[in-house]
Amino acid sequence: MNQFSNENLPSLLMNLYGNSGEAIFFFDRNGKVLTMNSAAKDILDKDVYEQMMAGSTGAICRTCRGYTSSDELQTCHSCYMSNPDENISSFQVYFDTKGKGVIPYSGSIHTIDEESGIRVFMLRDLTQQFKTQEELNQKLMMKRVIKAQEDERKRLSRELHDSVAQEMLSSLVDLRVLKYMNIDEEVLKKVQQTEGSLMRLLDDIRHLSVELRPATLDDLGLEAAFRTHFKWIEKNYGLIIHFHPELESKRYEGEVETVVYRICQEAVFNALKYAEVDELVVRLYEAVGFLYLVVVDEGKGFELKNTDPKGTGLGIYSMKERAELVDGNLQIRSEIGKGTVIQLEVPVVEGGGNK
Amino acid sequence: MKEWVGFNFQREIERVREAFGFDYVGIALVQSPERGFELKWAHVTGNKSERHRRIKLQSGKGVAGLVFKTGKPIYVGDALQEVGTDSLFNYPIIVAEGLKSFGAIPLYKSYRVNGVILVGYRKNQGLTLEQFEEFKREIGTGFGPFYDKEMVSDESVQQ
Repeated sequence: MNQFSNENLPSLLMNLYGNSGEAIFFFDRNGKVLTMNSAAKDILDKDVYEQMMAGSTGAICRTCRGYTSSDELQTCHSCYMSNPDENISSFQVYFDTKGKGVIPYSGSIHTIDEESGIRVFMLRDLTQQFKTQEELNQKLMMKRVIKAQEDERKRLSRELHDSVAQEMLSSLVDLRVLKYMNIDEEVLKKVQQTEGSLMRLLDDIRHLSVELRPATLDDLGLEAAFRTHFKWIEKNYGLIIHFHPELESKRYEGEVETVVYRICQEAVFNALKYAEVDELVVRLYEAVGFLYLVVVDEGKGFELKNTDPKGTGLGIYSMKERAELVDGNLQIRSEIGKGTVIQLEVPVVEGGGNK
Repeated sequence: MKEWVGFNFQREIERVREAFGFDYVGIALVQSPERGFELKWAHVTGNKSERHRRIKLQSGKGVAGLVFKTGKPIYVGDALQEVGTDSLFNYPIIVAEGLKSFGAIPLYKSYRVNGVILVGYRKNQGLTLEQFEEFKREIGTGFGPFYDKEMVSDESVQQ
């Protein structure tokens, strides 16, 4: 405080004491409350406050719900108030506050006047920080879950395609050999039927593998994977998708391709489920370092701020999360009766990665 | 469909639709093995969209695929309640035609499901269980040896 004058200090301190959002208590050596500021008074129940002011040393325990030690989240074991000579610069403590329930606080307690043993106890509300922390954790978790799901799908898809389908194919070949051996007409008919069933089963397994994760996405890229997927949608659901790829079969980073593919898949499925349309448009193009995906339908549309969505409501959320994985940006515009536009932009290396 | 020469599916489903007052009747038939045994809606009546023309179902997909795979009839009295809006899209023909209650039965040939007939109403609980039973009985005789397994075996003996 060399350069600054200490003239205003008392009034500044008084302002801090009176108007601060932090609760400040002064205790004497015996744990009796000397005084407290208005923020402290605000969090206390009326009778706790009165007891404190009356000089009861244990009054604070009626509102304190314990502090966090390395063993427990909320404990009273070797309480921060118990040793009058110990200074603790910060610890986490829970208080049952008036009207707001149990709130986490960051507390600090230290002696400010050694002679008379006066100590100051300060509490800082941590609710906001906890919320931020939780959101951050949730986002990190979501990203990991998405990645784990994608990896697992890839593994299963490979397994089905490389091992199960291969085995099935060799049994099918064996069965075909049987047809050319000297067998009964009746047996031959049965063999033919079994061959048909096996072929269907093989098809099913292949479809399952592609549905989990298309190998074309890894081998041939977005455009090819989309073409296959849209053909499949048209066959299964009768929905026509007008696909306009303007990429010239360019390849991008694996993660970018996965994200774009999954978001498009989700967007198309949403249109299929809720838009009540017969056709929609998907456009894929690159411009100034960004890869764009646009999915447009002219269906029912929906209220963006609707808190009671038709489905699980997770679809849009996970689309946004996926977009964030690759620093992308997802925009959704929708109008009741006019349709929905979903636009994704993902930054890519200029000219596209040659992976 | 050479084996069914002389049998007019279209006229028959129209007759069924009229007799029972269904809003919609459709027949899905299995395509040849070269086409991967896909199911196609070959004959429909009472349709309000042309979407069925584009739909080719794999075994196990959609109403027809499910009936085809299990070989058992399906009855849904209240589509929204029993299937739910979240998974109703898995039955594209129901969504496209806006059917609220429907039933489907397999058509057998040589112990194998060769086709699926779907009937439905665009109003809730339009198709009652009793009516569906009655319809199954009617098809059992009216559609010849396609529904009843016992009758199918008769046919194969004749072959």
